[in-house]
Amino acid sequence: MDLATYHDPCNYGRKAEKWFGYGYFNEPRWIMDQCLENWVDLHPNRLHQTCCGGGGGTLTTGYNDERIFYGRRKMDQIRATGARMLILPCHSCHGQINAIKKTYEMDDLVVKYLWELVADCLIF
Amino acid sequence: MAENQPIHIEALNPDCCNQWLYQQDACLTCAMCASVCPVAGVDNYDPRKMVRMVSLGMVDQVVQSRWPWICTMCGKCEQSCPMGIDISDLTRKIRSLREGKHVPGILSKGLAAALETGNNLSLPKEDFIFILEDVGDEVAEEPGLEGFTVPIDKKGARILTTIHNKLVNTHTEDLKPWWRIFHAAGEDWTIASDNWEGTTWGYFTGDDEAMKVMAGRIVENMRRLEIDTLLWPE
Repeated sequence: MDLATYHDPCNYGRKAEKWFGYGYFNEPRWIMDQCLENWVDLHPNRLHQTCCGGGGGTLTTGYNDERIFYGRRKMDQIRATGARMLILPCHSCHGQINAIKKTYEMDDLVVKYLWELVADCLIF
Repeated sequence: MAENQPIHIEALNPDCCNQWLYQQDACLTCAMCASVCPVAGVDNYDPRKMVRMVSLGMVDQVVQSRWPWICTMCGKCEQSCPMGIDISDLTRKIRSLREGKHVPGILSKGLAAALETGNNLSLPKEDFIFILEDVGDEVAEEPGLEGFTVPIDKKGARILTTIHNKLVNTHTEDLKPWWRIFHAAGEDWTIASDNWEGTTWGYFTGDDEAMKVMAGRIVENMRRLEIDTLLWPE
């Protein structure tokens, strides 16, 4: 199976930890473990993860060049793992990474919602 | 950015932009925030510069700049701040000081639509229901999912779930994974036909009152449908 990796969205992780005293770091990783045999973390991750650049409404402001540039570190992180599939649980991150992957010559990167990964593993 | 303007001490308003007074004045100018910010350097922005300008009373100039809008409020700056300054909160407050018509892009328009109609798209209720049922029919054609239907306004269901507007607009395929999971789990769930919007653009424009309205409507749906668990993936 191709290697996969996981992206911590700011709002479920670092910001949830700050606002509510609890960041959702372990739960998605448990789900990843159940669904995938072959996945690695990005580095840095969890509290120290790098934002994808699609949050805070930036997908809607029209400042697209800035948003695409913002995402370069995230794409570098993903590239460094060699992963072919990126799992994440956020609509904004999903939209952003799919929108910028061509610019960073990562057209083949498969981007999936965490719940999409779960649904894909179900056998009816 | 206007330069070389004198700073008028009497015009300083230290509690303009934060939840606790004078917090920007706690800045040590260490630049940890500027070092970790993924968008530092764009438009000459960096978080330290913004904090310092607010501290020096140059709020209007920051409000008029693009800075608070190219920042995603990711919180990496404040996480690294040794003084605990809520920098992304500051950004959000500065965003709120922009007049609606000068907010970039579609944020103000979408938020106004949501407040008026219950969703960012102004999608009429009958169209919303049509889309859900149409996608539900497609799911019901999948092997093992025969008989699947979308429960709308089901009173007493266990879970109420909100919907991201893009899922009933350009990304209807992305409705399906949750529904497959619900079906496999035998979950008792529902979607409200009014005020189903899961996004809250008041978060992006710094409009707390709008956020309260949007969240309040979801709570009202839970009361009306007698549901005590909310799935709010947005």
